[in-house]
Amino acid sequence: MIDQSAARALHPLEVKIIVTFDAGELIDSARVRDRLGFKEGQDQQAFSWLVAKGVLEEADRQTEVFYELTPLGREWHDKGTPVRRIFMLLKEAGPLSLPDIAQRLGLDQKTVGSAFGSLSKEGVCAMDEVRRAILVKPELPQSSLDIEALLAAAFMQGGSVSEKALSPQQKALMAQIAKKRGAQDAPFRIAERARVLFQVMPSVREYREAVTALGMTGEELGAITPEMLEKGSWKGGHFRPYNLQIQPARVIPGRRNAYVEFLDSVKDKLVSLGFEEFDGNLVETEFWNSDALFMPQFHSARDIHDVYYIEEPTHAKFIEEPYLSQVAAAHEHGGTTGSRGWQYQFDRDFTRRLILRSQGTVLSARQLPKANVPGKYFGVVRCFRYDRVDATHLSDFYQTEGIVLGENVNLRTLLGFLEMFAVEVAGAKEVKYVPGYFPFTEPSIEVHIRHPVLGWFELGGSGIFRPEVTRSLGVDVPVLAWGIGIDRMALMALGLNDLRELFSADLESVRMRRSQYKIQ
Amino acid sequence: MPKIEVNERLFFALAEKTWTDKESFEQDLTVAKAELDEWDMTGPADGERTIKIELNDTNRPDLWSTAGLARQLRIYRTGKIPSYPFFASRKKNVTAPYRVVVDKSVREVRPWLAGFVAKGKAISDALLRDMIQTQEKLAWNFGRKRKSVSIGIYRIGLIEWPVHYRGVDPDAVSFVPLQETRTMTLRQILEQHPKGIEYGSILMGKPIHPLLTDAGGKVLSYPPIINSADLGAVQMGDTDIFIEVTGTDYPSVALSCAIMACDLADMGFDIENVEVDYEYDTPFGASVTCPYYFQEEVSVSLADASRLLGISLEISDTLAALNRMGLCAYSTDGTLIHVAPPEYRNDFLHAFDIVEDIMIGMGMENFMPQRPTDFTIGRLTPIEGFSRRAKNIMVGLGYQEMVYNYLGSGKDYAEKMQIPANSLVKIANPMTENYEYVRNSSLPGLMQTEGVSAKASYPHRTFEVGKVALKAPEANYGVVTHQYIGFLTSHAQADYNEIASHVAALMYFLGKEYSVREAIDPRFVPGRQVEVLVNGARVGVFGEVHPAVLEAFGVVMPCAAGELDLDMLLED
Repeated sequence: MIDQSAARALHPLEVKIIVTFDAGELIDSARVRDRLGFKEGQDQQAFSWLVAKGVLEEADRQTEVFYELTPLGREWHDKGTPVRRIFMLLKEAGPLSLPDIAQRLGLDQKTVGSAFGSLSKEGVCAMDEVRRAILVKPELPQSSLDIEALLAAAFMQGGSVSEKALSPQQKALMAQIAKKRGAQDAPFRIAERARVLFQVMPSVREYREAVTALGMTGEELGAITPEMLEKGSWKGGHFRPYNLQIQPARVIPGRRNAYVEFLDSVKDKLVSLGFEEFDGNLVETEFWNSDALFMPQFHSARDIHDVYYIEEPTHAKFIEEPYLSQVAAAHEHGGTTGSRGWQYQFDRDFTRRLILRSQGTVLSARQLPKANVPGKYFGVVRCFRYDRVDATHLSDFYQTEGIVLGENVNLRTLLGFLEMFAVEVAGAKEVKYVPGYFPFTEPSIEVHIRHPVLGWFELGGSGIFRPEVTRSLGVDVPVLAWGIGIDRMALMALGLNDLRELFSADLESVRMRRSQYKIQ
Repeated sequence: MPKIEVNERLFFALAEKTWTDKESFEQDLTVAKAELDEWDMTGPADGERTIKIELNDTNRPDLWSTAGLARQLRIYRTGKIPSYPFFASRKKNVTAPYRVVVDKSVREVRPWLAGFVAKGKAISDALLRDMIQTQEKLAWNFGRKRKSVSIGIYRIGLIEWPVHYRGVDPDAVSFVPLQETRTMTLRQILEQHPKGIEYGSILMGKPIHPLLTDAGGKVLSYPPIINSADLGAVQMGDTDIFIEVTGTDYPSVALSCAIMACDLADMGFDIENVEVDYEYDTPFGASVTCPYYFQEEVSVSLADASRLLGISLEISDTLAALNRMGLCAYSTDGTLIHVAPPEYRNDFLHAFDIVEDIMIGMGMENFMPQRPTDFTIGRLTPIEGFSRRAKNIMVGLGYQEMVYNYLGSGKDYAEKMQIPANSLVKIANPMTENYEYVRNSSLPGLMQTEGVSAKASYPHRTFEVGKVALKAPEANYGVVTHQYIGFLTSHAQADYNEIASHVAALMYFLGKEYSVREAIDPRFVPGRQVEVLVNGARVGVFGEVHPAVLEAFGVVMPCAAGELDLDMLLED
């Protein structure tokens, strides 16, 4: 039994054959074209589909020779053969030299030469004493007329003529003017085509039953065309159902980068939590990168942030005052910050040394002098580390950092923010806080979360900026500082396990990359 | 951050607790800001198992040793603060059985020395390894790779007292250093001995080098480079040792000495003092008996601590919390808390440093997160908003967004792009030549993509929005950072007209009127490239990528590309 979906999937060409011919009949291209009005090619398509379905079986196969018009043959048919054109020209214009004829007819000399040759062989033309072609007989030779007849016959039959349809004389003539290969200078090309005879098999009845039950006739409408709509010819017709299970073709759309989109989602989330974005220079000074953050110029804490130095210029021209003096004082003896300082001679030359910023906290420090109270600021910024590049280290990468200023912020509000980030940004269900260490915060807290997929891991570091940092930069209220590591979440969201992949240059892998994260 | 290996049995004995599972051990480590790195529990607990631990607090070198870390955990649990009665201080004189004389010749090169003698316990293999580890961590991490602090350990039996610390001519003195059998001058040691090569830079260019000898003139060591093979080779089974610390920063030297002394005292050694007599003054007088308690009392008000922690602190709870951290704290008026730092700590720079110890002492579980209440308006930077508009337009034009690293090689950024390398910001200390320059364009990234993506179906249309570093001699930093958008189209028919149409669409939807002027940029084909001008200012360039560039990147498909300065467009 043929089910409905199989019947629906039949092409109108198949349907037409199924409803027209009965089991046991023998059909071929000629018969199908004649009976059903199929165009060239449609018959072959329908036969191959139906053979695959077992509705047709090949019964007999004969190779048949066809003579196809070449572009030159079509030109001869349209404009006349060179022989006829020379004959007509001489008849109208009288004696002419061969170059003259070539020029007037727009033909090349070789073509004119060979046409003239055949005309003189037939005694229709001759050369006079001044080497001009003249007409000797008033009519074209029979061979020329025979060629024209062949051209016309082929043209009438869609561009080719079967060898079977030719008389012996025509065959002999065709042998002279048709070529199998390199036929561009011949009017006909010899082509062999198989003529296949198919037998209609008994299964055609099952198909016919199914097709008839669905009311299919093979006259269903195919693609909807503008003409169809203009004329309204679709009205009253049936639309051919398509095979809806077919694999669609691939398209390559313009697309955002999945990693950048992920970073944007984090930015949007932070904006929604009331944070204002900051940004800054890739090249910074030791001053802003470390000194302003109260990291002593001599201390091993500086080792954490091994930095890249700029070759030229080596130093900034100046550091903004009064921050330089205030920071230097905080380092040396605490200045007015209430600290005893690091008790050493602050190097005002070294502090101008130009580097590639090694931590996003630089921008937090730079924000302090211009920040509002209350104020919340963040940045997702590129940082540079003196690290060997591998699956877990990059020489440049994004850090997400920020600050919160307020009269009443404290350790508990810091924990409140960390909880908010854990839940809102990272989708954590469980959060824990452990004491941490950062040179610029006191107290310092690390936040660990239990991620639904990654398990417990450190989401970020945070703390309350030391007074040596804030007061030196003109801020008198407590400032919460935080940084969250989103790279692991990014890798997971993108289904990757190598940080280098985030910045992949490979187009195909970037094109295929999908975000699997949920926008909270 | 320092990482140490502790002998499991030694550590548990000193901490007075045996841990059997990682989770509770990790939890207990948090009071010392320490993290369990590796603990292979598969072998038998026969005293040979080691635990690797990472210490996060670079200001607490006292925690970087088996005894020091165990001490913090022990005190936190028991509340019992150990006493180290052998310390001398401003208020307390102690008679020292040993003496070191510091000659004024050493003042300019490495002026400070502290030391003590430890006796009465045979040094086991585990103990020796631990002592060497502590010595190395202090000298490397805290002492800045021996620059400000280095430590020597000696067998006391062979030393003739007093010991002399002086400056000498590096070519005039010679001795047999550790790991050697021949006599070498100090200069030869610097040039040929592995330690000399490693640490020689500390003494580079100094006419006088430090040397430690005994009363008989035998060399103890050549600080901070190497000990003598004779007096400076401590072995298993030794019971009496002399430990000295030299350096350039007095508090660091005194603290390192204190840490070593407390550690050895915790391990059961008797500590005996060494008097160090200088020919010049130290912050604590010309004669200092070591170990010396040099720290000063610090104080914080209960109100400040309460405000910072966000809870209302009670004085008794606060003192108890500080006690758990090992701090002797007291208050006379109930509002101001005074803390005498322990002998082995010197990390109280500001009153707020006490607050963190209160926090850890009380336990994190006593601080409930509080939702912030201050209202603020969130917003993106103007350039971010503008860039997003540009990105959306490019996506609509069928372009795939890319993101690239900002560091790369001179080959990719300059040579292949046919531009001079001196137009780029160069790193003075690159780790490898693969990351030696900061980019000044996103086109090298887009070209790299073409170089590796010939198999990806065409057309390729890519773009990137990101930062570039541009040289700007007049700017304070000599370099400015701008946000660029770079874009590239690559396929058999990619040409000037296509990229020009895309630029036109982009600029129209960004609302920017522009004109073009023929450009001469080696990255593009002459006569098929233009500068983009907005109000007379050059904001970008686009054109057909020069075949020489394509060839350099191994690309055999025509490319047209360009880039625009979004910061300039935004300002306009």
